[in-house]
Amino acid sequence: MARPHIEPFVDRDVSFRKFTMPGFPKGMQYKMLSLDPDNGACTMTVMFEPGYRQPPGMSYSEYELFIMTGSITVGDKVHGPGSYFMVPAGVTIGAMSSPRGATGLLFYNYGEPSFIESDSDHPQAERHKFSMVNAYDDMQWASTNFFPATAPGCLVKVLHFDERTQAFTFLYCMTPNFWQDNISYHDCAEEAYHIWGTSWMMQFGDLPTGGYFYRPPYINHGAFGCKLGTLAIGRTDSRLYNHFHFNPWTNIEENKERAASRVQHWMPDLYKWINTHGHNHPVDFEFGHGHAHGDVPHHHGNGMVEHTHKKRRRRRK
Amino acid sequence: MKSIPHKRSREVEAWLKREITEQKARYRKIVAEQDALAPRRDKWVAEFLQRIQTRGTHVHFNTMRKVGPEEIPVRPKRKFRVVF
Repeated sequence: MARPHIEPFVDRDVSFRKFTMPGFPKGMQYKMLSLDPDNGACTMTVMFEPGYRQPPGMSYSEYELFIMTGSITVGDKVHGPGSYFMVPAGVTIGAMSSPRGATGLLFYNYGEPSFIESDSDHPQAERHKFSMVNAYDDMQWASTNFFPATAPGCLVKVLHFDERTQAFTFLYCMTPNFWQDNISYHDCAEEAYHIWGTSWMMQFGDLPTGGYFYRPPYINHGAFGCKLGTLAIGRTDSRLYNHFHFNPWTNIEENKERAASRVQHWMPDLYKWINTHGHNHPVDFEFGHGHAHGDVPHHHGNGMVEHTHKKRRRRRK
Repeated sequence: MKSIPHKRSREVEAWLKREITEQKARYRKIVAEQDALAPRRDKWVAEFLQRIQTRGTHVHFNTMRKVGPEEIPVRPKRKFRVVF
């Protein structure tokens, strides 16, 4: 089971509370936005109390931090509103503090929050994937470059793009009087948080400042509207494609069926190969064999995706 | 490497258990709130289905097309769910 459909949820309706997870220093508070019951991956609004101090350390899960108000200091550099960090699993960041306090969003994408005090990276850390940017000062708004695209007036700043899964994290804004008259769903899960502003969706009504959703794949959303403008941060877990339509009443199964049918027509040769190839865990020559990491669902021509492999004994020479 | 294998402590397991329980309650509250929104949603849907026949539906960016009356979907008898 992955994260449930949490939509809409407004964090202004609940209070911060102390973050008591073992390993973390005192002085951090949180509001839980969504949580994966299996692996503990979660998204939280966080508040660093004035005077918060954290020694150098790492997390067992990749995480992303976005500063909304106030500032944090990492090493000797001050990071204010709009600062975004993508910290891969096992990568150590320097001593952090927040002399005057700060609020932000913390995304733990593949495991529960963890903090291990350390001066050096974990042996399995991929430091080259670390990134940091100030999304307000260092980046400019651009139209979405998806096809088909959202209506004019929805602009993005891409903060992070995962080249393998095509998952991405982005700021987006809707201009005043933005509207889009269609219904959309995606093959990916997506989540978003309103930093400022209210937007409207035909299914869920108004989502105000502090509004959040975690939406699993194939769930209808839209039509869309926004009277006064909205600034938000969003994230997907894989490639985002806009499956547009105008039937308000379709369900997840029907949407998934339609998406599969579309793939069949868009990529007939690949679709046929995936469906008929006996041992169907495609190997990406850039990333290696799926079995080695156990991260690719597959079957052996019998449709049984849930199975395990016996460990092969090494032959003695 | 998205996550490094490790063992969870009892305290962490307890924290997760508590959060999962609270999330279940949060989910139930959302479902109830969204069920209560049904009459307004029905009105929004009716207005949407009208607009796409007159002003059009977005196909890509600023490209729109008008939907013919014969294309308007018929509401199925099952419950209209928006939270899954």
